[in-house]
Amino acid sequence: MLKYLAKRIGRSLITLFFIISLVFCLMRQMPVEGYFTNYDKLTAAQVQAGIAQLGLDKPLPVQLARFYRDALRGDLGVSHIYRTNVPVTTILAEKIPVSLKLGIAAMLLAMAVGIPMGILMARSNRTRHKLGDKLGTGFIVFIQAVPAAVYYLFLQLLGSDLFHLPMLVTGSATWMAWILPVVSLSLPNIAYYGMWLRRYMVDETTKDYVRLATAKGVKSSTIMRRHIFRNAFVPMVQYIPTSFLNTVVGSIYIESLYSIPGMGGLLVDVIKRQDNTMVQGIVLLYATVGIIGLILGDLLMTVADPRIKLSKKEGAR
Amino acid sequence: MSSYRSHKEKTLLEQVERALTPEEESALFTPAGYDFREAEKGGYSNYSYWQSTFRAFFKNRVAVFLLLVMAALLLFTVVQPYLPGQRDPNLIYDNPLNGLPLRNQQPNSDFWFGTNSIGQDLWARIWAGTRTSLFIGFVVAGVEALLGILAGMLWGYVRRVEFLFTELYNILDNLPQTLVLVLFSLILKPSIQTMVLAMCMTGWIQMARFVRNQIVILRDRDYNLASRCLGTSTWRILFKNLLPYLVSVIMLRVALAIPAAIGNEVFITYIGLGLPLEIPSLGNLLNEGRLLMTAPPLRYQLIFPTVVLAVITISFYIIGNAFADAADPKNHV
Amino acid sequence: MTETDIILSVQDLDVKFDLRGRTLHAIRGVSLDVYRGESLAIVGESGSGKSVFTKSFMGLLDQNGSVTGGHILYGGQDLAGYASEKQWLTIRGREIAMVLQDPMTSLNPLKTIGRQIEEAVVLHQGLKGDAARRAVLATLSDVGIDDPEHRYGQYPHEFSGGMRQRVVIAIAVACRPKILICDEPTTALDVTIQAQILDLVKALQKKYDLTTIYITHDLGVVANVADRIAVMYAGDIVELGRCEEVFYDPRHPYTWALLSSLPQLGVKGEPLYSIAGTPPNLFHEVKGDAFAPRNPQALKIDFVARPPYFEVSPTHKARTWLLDPRAPKVEPPEHIRQLREQGVKFRAQ
Repeated sequence: MLKYLAKRIGRSLITLFFIISLVFCLMRQMPVEGYFTNYDKLTAAQVQAGIAQLGLDKPLPVQLARFYRDALRGDLGVSHIYRTNVPVTTILAEKIPVSLKLGIAAMLLAMAVGIPMGILMARSNRTRHKLGDKLGTGFIVFIQAVPAAVYYLFLQLLGSDLFHLPMLVTGSATWMAWILPVVSLSLPNIAYYGMWLRRYMVDETTKDYVRLATAKGVKSSTIMRRHIFRNAFVPMVQYIPTSFLNTVVGSIYIESLYSIPGMGGLLVDVIKRQDNTMVQGIVLLYATVGIIGLILGDLLMTVADPRIKLSKKEGAR
Repeated sequence: MSSYRSHKEKTLLEQVERALTPEEESALFTPAGYDFREAEKGGYSNYSYWQSTFRAFFKNRVAVFLLLVMAALLLFTVVQPYLPGQRDPNLIYDNPLNGLPLRNQQPNSDFWFGTNSIGQDLWARIWAGTRTSLFIGFVVAGVEALLGILAGMLWGYVRRVEFLFTELYNILDNLPQTLVLVLFSLILKPSIQTMVLAMCMTGWIQMARFVRNQIVILRDRDYNLASRCLGTSTWRILFKNLLPYLVSVIMLRVALAIPAAIGNEVFITYIGLGLPLEIPSLGNLLNEGRLLMTAPPLRYQLIFPTVVLAVITISFYIIGNAFADAADPKNHV
Repeated sequence: MTETDIILSVQDLDVKFDLRGRTLHAIRGVSLDVYRGESLAIVGESGSGKSVFTKSFMGLLDQNGSVTGGHILYGGQDLAGYASEKQWLTIRGREIAMVLQDPMTSLNPLKTIGRQIEEAVVLHQGLKGDAARRAVLATLSDVGIDDPEHRYGQYPHEFSGGMRQRVVIAIAVACRPKILICDEPTTALDVTIQAQILDLVKALQKKYDLTTIYITHDLGVVANVADRIAVMYAGDIVELGRCEEVFYDPRHPYTWALLSSLPQLGVKGEPLYSIAGTPPNLFHEVKGDAFAPRNPQALKIDFVARPPYFEVSPTHKARTWLLDPRAPKVEPPEHIRQLREQGVKFRAQ
């Protein structure tokens, strides 16, 4: 087990290193305006001086090495445009809790709604007319086909028109303002969980051991619960990291849509404003979070399924 | 109970006997002669994979309907600029009476979809935008498919490159696609090429993995072992033995890649890294419409592109899934 | 055998499947009496309907299948009319239990085998907790699994194929049924294990006073275990009789063909016998005798009218016009004649 874990973390670190270095190199291609607050007002000489001060004129490998050295000490540089001379880490530290709250709430809601939905759909699939199954499928098709950006917008519109929910979070006093963003953000995951759980449960239903359990004389509701659901739930665990990533990406959009002062809105902002160090820092954070999530997913899988032997794992996940 | 049975049997016998005349009786109780070809006929009828696939697909009325809708839509987007009375999507139209731009006009008989906030014809813009978005979608899907299939086949079949691809996959898979998109658009100037490039970067490896998984399952099947024993070349095995079985998976991914590409484009546009306004796209139009969302009378500028987008994405999703289901031999009765 | 010895009586059973708008007539008016305590073997090729037949006794037909005619009389009730799960729960396990073909997939991979047997014990022996656990251990010993204490907590993938099948049998027996249906119990097992499993079932049958129905296409298994044989073809029983009668004096051309196909009867150097053609497509209505197109000895009437059962002896009957007094004398194939001679010798001893 430990051997596998070490291998997995090692591999992920390589990926992380690769990504960060790639991002770093790409960022160096960005126009230098991103390092100065009032670029237009500076003379060429001042610009040069500024570049030298930031160490941007050194060769690339040197810069990379310096970056890692600083990053491991917890120093990601300072923002130059967004909030001048404030360390990137400080800014991030403010924003992270907000995004975390939003993300966790959305994930929990997604599980609380998505999993029962999957079960109901699987149950409905066994009936003659499969009404629940069809309705659920329609919902899932819609969410999966139409780009999230589109239905997020419409949800915001509908929510404020029909339910008079506040459109923006900042400046709003009530917790009600959080309803729309959390619900919106959870939708893709609800569809995801619902679809996969239903598919796995329906697949399990045709398996031989279910038939034997029926022949044994076990009630079908008990079979659903004790055999089908339990077994179908196991592979579901591998989707948790993917849904986590979905949430992270989705939060970028949602946060700016609802003016939530979190990481996502920050990213959009600093991209628009071309604050290079900020973009770099945020990308680094997202990449790390993503990779940790994937490792966790693998671990969860092995815990849930006694058949998987950890030391022996082939190629791609 | 046995009396019930033997009674039934007797009645059956009597029924048969009553129906026969003595001549018929003696004629019937003679050997019928044996034709082994008749014996073979008793079995199941001719099975053609593609025939059954298409038959199964056309039974799905929703998918067929949407296919027709998409075909009509595609045709229209291509033909639209050549129809009489169409306007240029980028021209600003002025009110002939006072020379001021016709801004935010509601849909009327002159401008079927109305005009946007700077006076451009929304009808023309929407169709131009659909063309752009669909173009991006098709190109991305096509490149992904091509690269992905080739890579996947090699990955799955040729043992020597397997390790290389697997490691490559492990690295690329962990890169969130959106991030790559953002970075690319950030650094290279936003344009159609940039977007296509960025989207293809990460998409092909997923297709490659699907193809590879299928091939791994199929390559050790007996009919492929037999081909290898006969000395068939690798390429021939890949293309003639394995590829037909991958059609279902490939079609599904291609069909889903198109709405995914459009979705990415919308997302990028929102962040501000999308196509410039002179190239209308569904992403641009949605964004423009979004800015006016709060004013109810102007909502038409959001609704029209949304409807078109929804129709396209949902159609491709359903058609893709329906075709994949139809191509699955388990669903051929 | 008297009337009171009949434990299950099937009369004119019709089972149909609805497949994407087309109807498959899987069981076409089958009648069969099962006697208490006997070992009945139902033989036939794949697709003959033998599995479907027995599944209808327990309500295990797929969702698109239904009993469309006939009666299944058991314990004073007509099972053909059972529609709700509540009704079937009185039969499944409690009265009739089943052993499935593939022990690899018959067990839940994520539950210990102890738990899976316990499920049956709790349901049907009315025991709980410790008493249930002890009953499970007793059952494990019954089926010949060593070290039951340790085995109780193990998962199916830790067992070999033969051991897994023993577990499945343990589950079936733990239900304390009256009738045990074994659907191809040895097909997925090694030859060396097959005999062990068959002996196990025979021993359990005696111990628990069971009536066993075997479904198989392996005539070797049949010869080993069966008191009576029912030969099924295209959803109908074409021949029914005691084991010796069907083996040594078969009357239906399909049975002749089936027995001739046994490699053991082949002569070295000669081509092996095989039946040309394939079973009929049951989506279409069968006219006359279903086996007629593949039958070299078919009469014209075989294509016109379905033959009724003709009795060869009180315990042996076959559904073929060849047994009709008006039919010409037809000689069975060479191999069958040899079997007949062997049978005469056998009886003379």
